[in-house]
Amino acid sequence: MILEARDLRKLYGDFCALDGVSLAVGAGEFVSIIGPNGAGKSTLINLLTGVLRPTAGTVRFNDRDVAGIGPVALTRLGLARSFQLVQIFPDLTVLETLQAPVVSRLGRGTRFFRSLAADREVQADALEVAELFGLADKRHVPARQLAQGDKKLLDVASAFALRPEIILLDEPTSGVSTAEKSAIMEILVTASRRMGLKAIIQVEHDMDIVFGYSDRIVALHQGKVLADATPSTIRADARVVDMVIGRTHHLPSPPQGEGRVRGSP
Amino acid sequence: MSGRLILGLALAGLLVLPFVLSPYRLILMLPFMAYGVILLGLNLLFAYAGLVSFGHALFVGVGAYTGAFLGAHAGIRSIEVVVLVAAILGAVVAALVGLLCVRYVKIYFGMLTLAFGMVFYTFVLKFYRITGGDEGMPVPRPLLLGLDLDAMPKTDYLIGPYYYYCLGVLVVAAAVMWRIVHSPFGLCLRTIRDNPTKAEALGVSVTRYRWYAFVISGVFGAVGGALLGPPIGNVDPTLVYWTHSGSLVFMALLGGFAHFFGPVLGAFVFIFLQDAVMSVVPYWRLVFGAILAAIVIFAPGGLMGLFARRRAPVEVARP
Amino acid sequence: MTANVVNILMSGVFHAAILFLVSAGLQLVFGVQKIFNLACGSFYALGAYVGVSAVSAFVSAGGAPVLFILPLAVAGLAVGAVGLVVERGLLRFVYDRDETFQLLLTFALVLMMEDAIRLTWGTAPQSTSGYYLLYGQARVLGAVVPVYNLIVIAASVLIAAGLGLMLTRTAFGRIIRAAADNREMAEALGVDMRGIYARVFTLGTALGTLGGALVIPATAAMSEMGIELIVEAFAVVVIGGLGSMRGALVGALVVGVLRAVAISVYPEIEMLLIYLIVIAVLLLRPRGLFGGAAA
Repeated sequence: MILEARDLRKLYGDFCALDGVSLAVGAGEFVSIIGPNGAGKSTLINLLTGVLRPTAGTVRFNDRDVAGIGPVALTRLGLARSFQLVQIFPDLTVLETLQAPVVSRLGRGTRFFRSLAADREVQADALEVAELFGLADKRHVPARQLAQGDKKLLDVASAFALRPEIILLDEPTSGVSTAEKSAIMEILVTASRRMGLKAIIQVEHDMDIVFGYSDRIVALHQGKVLADATPSTIRADARVVDMVIGRTHHLPSPPQGEGRVRGSP
Repeated sequence: MSGRLILGLALAGLLVLPFVLSPYRLILMLPFMAYGVILLGLNLLFAYAGLVSFGHALFVGVGAYTGAFLGAHAGIRSIEVVVLVAAILGAVVAALVGLLCVRYVKIYFGMLTLAFGMVFYTFVLKFYRITGGDEGMPVPRPLLLGLDLDAMPKTDYLIGPYYYYCLGVLVVAAAVMWRIVHSPFGLCLRTIRDNPTKAEALGVSVTRYRWYAFVISGVFGAVGGALLGPPIGNVDPTLVYWTHSGSLVFMALLGGFAHFFGPVLGAFVFIFLQDAVMSVVPYWRLVFGAILAAIVIFAPGGLMGLFARRRAPVEVARP
Repeated sequence: MTANVVNILMSGVFHAAILFLVSAGLQLVFGVQKIFNLACGSFYALGAYVGVSAVSAFVSAGGAPVLFILPLAVAGLAVGAVGLVVERGLLRFVYDRDETFQLLLTFALVLMMEDAIRLTWGTAPQSTSGYYLLYGQARVLGAVVPVYNLIVIAASVLIAAGLGLMLTRTAFGRIIRAAADNREMAEALGVDMRGIYARVFTLGTALGTLGGALVIPATAAMSEMGIELIVEAFAVVVIGGLGSMRGALVGALVVGVLRAVAISVYPEIEMLLIYLIVIAVLLLRPRGLFGGAAA
């Protein structure tokens, strides 16, 4: 297991946001976390990414306790995340935005007197990510001038530029038009394969995307894990369909073959 | 390219100025160059880290008092030693103060830096046995590159060798700061200014980088302060008072903090405009207050922002 | 011994009473408008000068010197109208700007007002000599305290109570608190923020100018008194917590009394002690002793 959370419990005052949640993600997996609003998805993400410290339970990343160690330390260990609400650097260009994580990953942030423009490795690496995400021709555009879909893509791309082992995507396609959603997902899955990511965890509301890409789905409800199974099993689980997905939703077919992330071609 | 041309012309102008300008104006150039160094540092915090310090005069004071102290108590007058000691003291003070300040942003950062500035102010004001209190301390004429120039008349010394020395320091300081803001470190600072949450998620430690910026900024402030002492001739606590910190931020805004050389231009305009206004009426604060209000309301991009707007519409970075 | 201690305490409380008025104005404006008004000290200085002029005019027009406190208080309050001019003429242009710009605009005011005062009243200190002890002195636990000080302390306590009542019991107070908590919400509920801001800033200014006027019989008006007071008022609000009225009260007492104690025990550390406390508070309780959850 790369990332393993056991019996996570999180209290905000008297309110119990998460109550005994366990989750394990192994190499090659694409795991989706679903659940209605207030099910505890955001809290779970914040616990897994070390932003919050659990009231009880453990989070282990590559057999290391990472509960509450904070985002900076986690990126060093190889875990990256993107945000539900698009997070960009408004005044930085696309390329600069992608250089920052490269600089951070290579530990070159304290090169106070070296020229960034002359750092071939950083430049090439950032450009490669820009190309993978189809942002290369906009590389000199300030992030604030990008279209909404491109902003989202840039947010995700900058997390990928950390070349993490595992990435946590908080609604990677929220706030983006339906047409753009699947394009973003395709880019994302391709990039993860090319960049050698071991696993992806996403929180997602769009069931087409959840069932179209996941190897495994974790359904949360009122702070507890309602189900943790493959898409086909989840589809047959009447409770999950009733409480989380909704009857009216037409569920797409599960993906062909196993392991979207590093699956055999 | 045209930017480089302007810069080259400006530098050439500064080099020939002693042959053209009256001694009176040349003496005004000295504080300008000292403030130029200080503002290069202040703007690293202001424009690149998004932090507005209302206590930066603390470092100016550290630098200026270093020169007076070394002269009075240790008999050291070598400007190289003074600048070096000022830089080290500036770094040490900034490292300690910064440790506490960089955890806060916006108004809280401003207040905390103001409080530390006033601690130093009160110290130099009240411990008059060491610091001369409100009368201050005289700053001896420094030796430049080890040369004793005491035989020269004071004005000739200031507008000749000392002028070129300050210009040299300003050019070096600008070159160093240029490297810093164009380094990987500079990029990390800008990510923090734009979006600290996202910066942390990309592995950029917000408080650590802010602290680095604070220390660098403190060093520049102290070096500038060390240069400011000799032309004033006497350092006193008003140099550290909070309104002086406010004037530094004013200069940055006046020139335009979004541009690398904006604050340096701001220092230039501030000093010469202040002199021009004071030659007409003694109420320069009234005029400058009105100018500051007008800039804040109508031209937040400062003078550089006005020039840039004429050439091409450039959006002003938020501090 | 007791007399000495009481003397120090009473002079500290007198200073605290004045400091509270200025800080309360600062807090009110910060609480509602989220602007840290560096110029509150300048309003204080303006109030002091206007107070001196009002008292001299009153006496030379034949008013009984014993009644000097009336023109003093009236003038102190009336000149608060300057706040309305400043708010409508300057501040309203920067409400949607970054707070750095708002702070710098109030700094511009500091610069302008310092010289405007010099231009109007000259550079020599102005005072109403001889009125301070007009009401006599009282014996408090063996110490001799000017009655005027007691009047100012009482007035300040009354104003504090009045502000408290206004904020909790009146419709205007409820609107102010709603606006301080959540501007968008208040606007959505149909609150006219324009009007609120104008009134709040004027009230905040009037508190400052009144504080300046009331201090006048005890000390001379000087053009630097504004920029000196702002750092004390700043200490008050940091210790008490930005935006909190109760914080202003407690902060003013802490600063006023500690300053008085320091001056009489070890004058060198006078303000140094205050700043060290400010720094300690910012480090231990960044939101101050009574600071709200979020600023």
